[in-house]
Amino acid sequence: MSDGYAFDGLPLEAIRPGTSVLVSGPTHAGTRNLALRMLDGGDAEASIIVTTNQRAARLAEDCERVGFDIDPGRVAVVDCVGEEDEDVAARVVPVSGPADLTGIGMRYSKLSREFKSDGFDRVRTGVVSVSTLVSFGELRSVARFIHTMVGHINSIDGLGVLFIDPSTHDERTVNTLAQFCGGRIEVRDGENGPELRARGLADQPREWTSFDPTSER
Amino acid sequence: MILCVDPDADALAATEAALADAGFDTVGCGSLSAALERLDSTMVDCLVTEYELPDGTGMELIGEVRETTPDVACILFTDTPIEVMDTTAVGAAVAEYLPKEAPDARSELVELVEHSLVFRSQTAYPVPENEDARLAALARYADDSEALKASFDRLTELAAALFDLNTATVGLIHAHEEEFIACHGADLDTLDREKSICTYTILEEEVTVIPDVRDDPRFNADGRLEAAGIRFYAGAPVVTPDGQAIGVFCLHDDESRSFSTRDRELLKLLAEEAMEQLELRRQLREATGGAPDV
Repeated sequence: MSDGYAFDGLPLEAIRPGTSVLVSGPTHAGTRNLALRMLDGGDAEASIIVTTNQRAARLAEDCERVGFDIDPGRVAVVDCVGEEDEDVAARVVPVSGPADLTGIGMRYSKLSREFKSDGFDRVRTGVVSVSTLVSFGELRSVARFIHTMVGHINSIDGLGVLFIDPSTHDERTVNTLAQFCGGRIEVRDGENGPELRARGLADQPREWTSFDPTSER
Repeated sequence: MILCVDPDADALAATEAALADAGFDTVGCGSLSAALERLDSTMVDCLVTEYELPDGTGMELIGEVRETTPDVACILFTDTPIEVMDTTAVGAAVAEYLPKEAPDARSELVELVEHSLVFRSQTAYPVPENEDARLAALARYADDSEALKASFDRLTELAAALFDLNTATVGLIHAHEEEFIACHGADLDTLDREKSICTYTILEEEVTVIPDVRDDPRFNADGRLEAAGIRFYAGAPVVTPDGQAIGVFCLHDDESRSFSTRDRELLKLLAEEAMEQLELRRQLREATGGAPDV
């Protein structure tokens, strides 16, 4: 098996290929930025990011801010929000909206196949954020969507990073979605800035650990 | 069984041949209506369909399948470009997608079918980690005897009286549905697994209590439980001696209510009693070489 997916500059050990993690915490505590940083695999890896609540241009700015270079040769965005953004550097594929889970899933698997034929055998997949999907659809449908996507990520030995803000959902919603994932990374606003801890993942920090959500690579 | 739907007879034959070579049983047809008929009469695990059908689209077909047999793994295997397909109407259906024009498309299809079936990755609910072992255990306890039903009828009647509520049931959780062996106070036969609360109960070791299902995002979406008079739920997993949760002893009521620690203990005892019945009958069947009701 190939090496795990590594995370430069974050207090996380590499994660085994085929794994999806739920990254849960408030947006303001840097959880979203953490998810974006985890999706940056450098030049040798491809990334597919599903953006559900911010248009691709905005996502690109946020990525830039955390030092994630959105190179269209290796980064694609499935945009459930905006009109087509012509001035975004990344490969942008529009979907009608966050309720069209079927359309999102199909575009995702198409992009994943494209990267494979471009020669990338390592792909990181992100959903920012799962919260939007839940607020636009029935939990049962979102659960099927996440289960199917996590299954796809597993079959291509990829990495899945699913961001959710638990403050806007019932605990049972978050737990149900977490059960499809190999593990969970929780984020909170600590006394000295954002902190993370891992659940269900081997060799990851189990105690609250500080991280810098913005630092450049 | 894999249902393949493609109006192009040659393409359909090639798809079925590729799947048959990989050891799958297939059945093929060329239209939406024929596919729906098939689904009515045949137990299908996986659907592989083109998008353009003479009397509709593959997406419509997948939408129908999600209503009737929601766990079926659905794969859109198509020549139609994504941009042309209308998915907004069936946005909640969710399916795998594989373009048919790729040179090795059919071997990719075989891989996708295998993966989807092994990991059951299109279910709308979490599947227990040891699902295969769990189903194998369940098969050992298969027993459609009247004697077992009568014994569970007594247990559920006692349970409803003990807790003073409307309904008590014993259900077994099969691969895609819950089968109610006994149901005191309601008329339940089977329920799709994704619609049953018990699907979640077998994931936990302890008793699951939902004081008011209207507050639970997993079950309140369609108002179906509310319509069936289920507001309160408590369920204890029925666990085999080797640790497999094969079913649930559960209680419902049409009013929200509390459930004490002692109540949980008692419900757990009832689940253990149900398991003992299953276990003793299994041993009896083994000892008598599978003789029917004793």
